[in-house]
Amino acid sequence: MSKQINVALIGNPNTGKTSVFNALTGLNQKVGNYPGITVEKKEGICKLPRGVKAHIIDLPGTYSLNASSLDENVVIELLLNKNDKDFPDIAVVVSDVENLKRNLLLFTQIKDLEIPTLLVINMADRMSYKGISLDIDYLEEHLQTKIALISTRKNEGINNLKNLIANLKDLPIKPCLNASEIDQDYFDNLRKAFPNQLLYKLWLVITQDVNFGKTDRNEIGAVANFKTKSKADLKRLQQKETIKRYQFINNVLKKGQTIDISQAKDLRTKLDRILTHKVWGYTIFFVILLTIFQAIYDWSSIPMDFIDTVFASLSEWTKNMLPSGAFTNLLAEGIIPGLGGIVIFIPQIAFLFLFIAVLEESGYMSRVVFLMDRVMRRFGLSGKSVVPLISGTACAIPAIMATRNIESWKERLITILVTPFTTCSARLPVYLIIISLVIPEGRFLGLSYQALTLMLLYLIGFGTAVISAYILNKILKIKSKTFFVIEMPNYKLPMFKNVALTVIEKTKSFVFGAGKIILAISIVLWFLASYGPGEQFNNAETIVKAEYAPQNLNEEDLKQKIASHKLEHSFIGITGRAIEPAIRPLGYDWKIGIAIVSSFAAREVFVGTLATIYSVGSDDEATIKNRMAAEVNPILGGPLFTFASGISLLLFYAFAMQCMSTLAIVKRETNSWKWPVLQLVIMTAFAYIVALIAFQFLK
Amino acid sequence: MNTIIQNILVFTALILAVMFIVKTYIWSPKKKKTKACGGDDNCGCH
Repeated sequence: MSKQINVALIGNPNTGKTSVFNALTGLNQKVGNYPGITVEKKEGICKLPRGVKAHIIDLPGTYSLNASSLDENVVIELLLNKNDKDFPDIAVVVSDVENLKRNLLLFTQIKDLEIPTLLVINMADRMSYKGISLDIDYLEEHLQTKIALISTRKNEGINNLKNLIANLKDLPIKPCLNASEIDQDYFDNLRKAFPNQLLYKLWLVITQDVNFGKTDRNEIGAVANFKTKSKADLKRLQQKETIKRYQFINNVLKKGQTIDISQAKDLRTKLDRILTHKVWGYTIFFVILLTIFQAIYDWSSIPMDFIDTVFASLSEWTKNMLPSGAFTNLLAEGIIPGLGGIVIFIPQIAFLFLFIAVLEESGYMSRVVFLMDRVMRRFGLSGKSVVPLISGTACAIPAIMATRNIESWKERLITILVTPFTTCSARLPVYLIIISLVIPEGRFLGLSYQALTLMLLYLIGFGTAVISAYILNKILKIKSKTFFVIEMPNYKLPMFKNVALTVIEKTKSFVFGAGKIILAISIVLWFLASYGPGEQFNNAETIVKAEYAPQNLNEEDLKQKIASHKLEHSFIGITGRAIEPAIRPLGYDWKIGIAIVSSFAAREVFVGTLATIYSVGSDDEATIKNRMAAEVNPILGGPLFTFASGISLLLFYAFAMQCMSTLAIVKRETNSWKWPVLQLVIMTAFAYIVALIAFQFLK
Repeated sequence: MNTIIQNILVFTALILAVMFIVKTYIWSPKKKKTKACGGDDNCGCH
């Protein structure tokens, strides 16, 4: 009768484990489920040399023995339970030659369970393309195992693998890592309390949510002479274990593996070589950014003009069709222009997210993160900080939440504090309307001045974030270490469905998220602009008629003067005039002041507020842009929105912390009011000073 | 009559708008106070 052995095929996802399974078992396989759960169980029979039969189980892909899903639990439960009928006589760990370092983490963990473990390095045919060479003897010696170098695609090395499995008795079972190294005292106590148990198995039982034969976690906790640690302490020890394992793996691979990128021949490597090049990488990234901003301007102008005209006509139509009165005025002068000020930016925001989604889907964004890590490190940030900084172009709130994967508290705090400098989509409406008013429409080398200005503002935001990070890194006295690990996905053509869903979801959240608050603020602002205290407001008509009687104005001009007088003496006018002395040195009038104050709720409210204020008392159907362009500076005469006041306003919005929600999220993420308050004071003061200098210098 | 209805609608809209702003930005349920992040704080970053 032939002998049968149990073979467990284990490995990270996408290592070609199932291909190895197919190569070993051929048609002798069956698929079922693990008892009680719907995790797929694949089993097969393989005939090995010397009449040995192997019962092969293809286990679900897992990155480590620290389980985080049902699939991964299956692997650990089998490896920890010697009484299971499928408990392996040999574990075959399948790895991918391109990701050997990451794959070896799982290998070292399984090895430490003292199960005979064989390492299969798959996709060997890719080695020459990737410029990889391996010293198999060295690796076998230092990993204490046998290695099968195979290529399932070319069906190479399978017979050698079968031989190695058949000779499982030759495999050393010495562990890679001495568990005591994780925490000497803790593991010494563990050993004393359970002298007959394997230390690393006990450790896994304590830290993983799995059963372990007759000894479960509660029993360990119940042993009087052994004191378990808190969850946080255990988590820290687990991290220490992972670091120790990677240190071991790095040392082995330093001599056992050579990667010479200059010898690599595949398309991905060729592209990577260019896209992450220290000169070409940045140049290409810069050109891509330039193209995006140019396209945002060129492609969006037609739909934007259309939306602007539609809202102006809708406002006019509402006024003509509904019975005259306060509510009709609220609709025509408050709500419709306020909402129009947001809807108009849908085309540009959709295009921005379209480009970001395409860059992410294609795999290019990961290269950007890698590329920027070189820069970021010099400024006290991690490569991982790039993700929040890039996400910040959409909104600072999810971007700040995305800092949670930065391990170092110092780097995380710095990233949280500087992320609001990146140009979020809420700044975009402000930038776009001001740029269209104060920057001429000419072109330079085929690129419009307006697109270049927009790009410059994005670069200023990013640059300020990085410089602030550098300063904070020097000031903050927090000690911490960090590691930057990023997996480069393969390049692929973006899937239309994914891109479309991202664009729709982001645009919808911008419009509806901002839309609700803008609607509410538009109503309040209209009320404050349409009502006021005292004689000057209530008798505006009489006062203006008496004042302009000698000039004999026509009815239209007189109406305009009355509306202007009422606005000036309305609640909003009084408030605006009260803050005017503080903002006049920046080149702003009280109407802009009101817009700045109201946009503290959300930056995009700025445009809606100006649209509402300029619409109150106005009967014509001029677009928002035309109304703003027609505004006259009350002190100097001439247009209010000049190059100097426009640049001052752009810079103010580039640096000011004009977002309540961001402050709330910073408070939540740092668990303290100290950081959001500092952020608010410093950013606003800096914005004020820069805007002041810009206006005084340019006027 | 038209003026009264229009004024009622305006003030209703105003009250709803103010309530929405207050609820969104000013009033929020009090959460359990914890110490600031940093060090071994279990803030999800270590």
